[in-house]
Amino acid sequence: MDPKDLLYCKTHEWVHVAQEGGAKLATIGISAFAVEQLTDLVYMELPEVGGEVQAGQPFGEVESVKAVSPLYSPVDGEIVAVNSSLPDHLETLGEDPYDAGWIIKVRITDDSGLARLLDFAAYQKQCAEEG
Amino acid sequence: MLSARLVIDPPAAGAWNMACDDMLLASVSERGQWCLRFYQWSEPTLSLGYFQRLEARGQHRASRSCAVVRRATGGGAIVHDHELTYSFAASAGDRLSADLTALYDAFHETLIEALADFGLRAGLVPDGQGRTADQPFLCFQRRSRGDVVLESAKVAGSAQRRQHGAVLQHGSILLRSTERAPELPGIAELSGLELRPEQVIAAWTPRLACRLGRRLVPSEWTSQERQRAGEFAQQRYSNPAWSERR
Repeated sequence: MDPKDLLYCKTHEWVHVAQEGGAKLATIGISAFAVEQLTDLVYMELPEVGGEVQAGQPFGEVESVKAVSPLYSPVDGEIVAVNSSLPDHLETLGEDPYDAGWIIKVRITDDSGLARLLDFAAYQKQCAEEG
Repeated sequence: MLSARLVIDPPAAGAWNMACDDMLLASVSERGQWCLRFYQWSEPTLSLGYFQRLEARGQHRASRSCAVVRRATGGGAIVHDHELTYSFAASAGDRLSADLTALYDAFHETLIEALADFGLRAGLVPDGQGRTADQPFLCFQRRSRGDVVLESAKVAGSAQRRQHGAVLQHGSILLRSTERAPELPGIAELSGLELRPEQVIAAWTPRLACRLGRRLVPSEWTSQERQRAGEFAQQRYSNPAWSERR
């Protein structure tokens, strides 16, 4: 996926929204900037398929440099797919954060949270301020 | 100058100690109140890093008789016996705490300065110590960039949890070796100097205040905070589901 086409949380998760079978499907990952900032990722815990996520609430956790950090969902919905190979291949996040490094897919039940997300330009600006 | 609370607690059980730190993290998220806390443990206790497996403690025979608690922070297992533990909760958006490693450096560099007051020449583990999931079970057998070493042995290390715009940092200073982890020398074995926890706190705290840019105001828990910590202890840290979650 082209990072320019994605929406971003202030907490560095990206989301791609597509129509699929009459429903909106969100693919969620973490940005290249976040992966670079985290450095030395060693653990990742992911949810189960079928679970529910809420916008602004954690759906998983990672550990890097002895720091445990949550992964936040940008949308409300039901988890329909999990990239379960990722915890054993965390290098994928650095190598291909916007395609092979996707983390979960969510069938959106409430997309009102999307309006609060950042577009690429706004996210780039935030990263420049943080970096 | 802005202020932060300074709490020096008496020794307590592992579940209570961890629950107090959860409460501090929640207080920062809710009210932006920063706090530095020093504490010890009322019985020898093995604390597991958040992602460590409970069954991994079977690898370490000497600590098998210890109580066990799972931390909310990352890193490796620590045998809390003759050591000093600190916790620090702050907003994650601050210039110092926004960076994962800058907050470790702030604590460890000032600790090295404090130890120098006692004639000890400690240093930091240099950059280039990459981490993998395949690390020794015990925190003090691991080496990460910025850990505090004395005579090549690690004597202090820290770990964090970040959530909802706040950061909690835990750290441990190994004052003396314990029969529950005899392979780890403490400051006493490495230097011949028996430092008491209160000596380290007295030498370290003013330097930390300066580095953090906060006036540290001695404080005690309110009754509401005690009640809340008790709830966290019961729901999470005393609950086998928490210790056995992986």
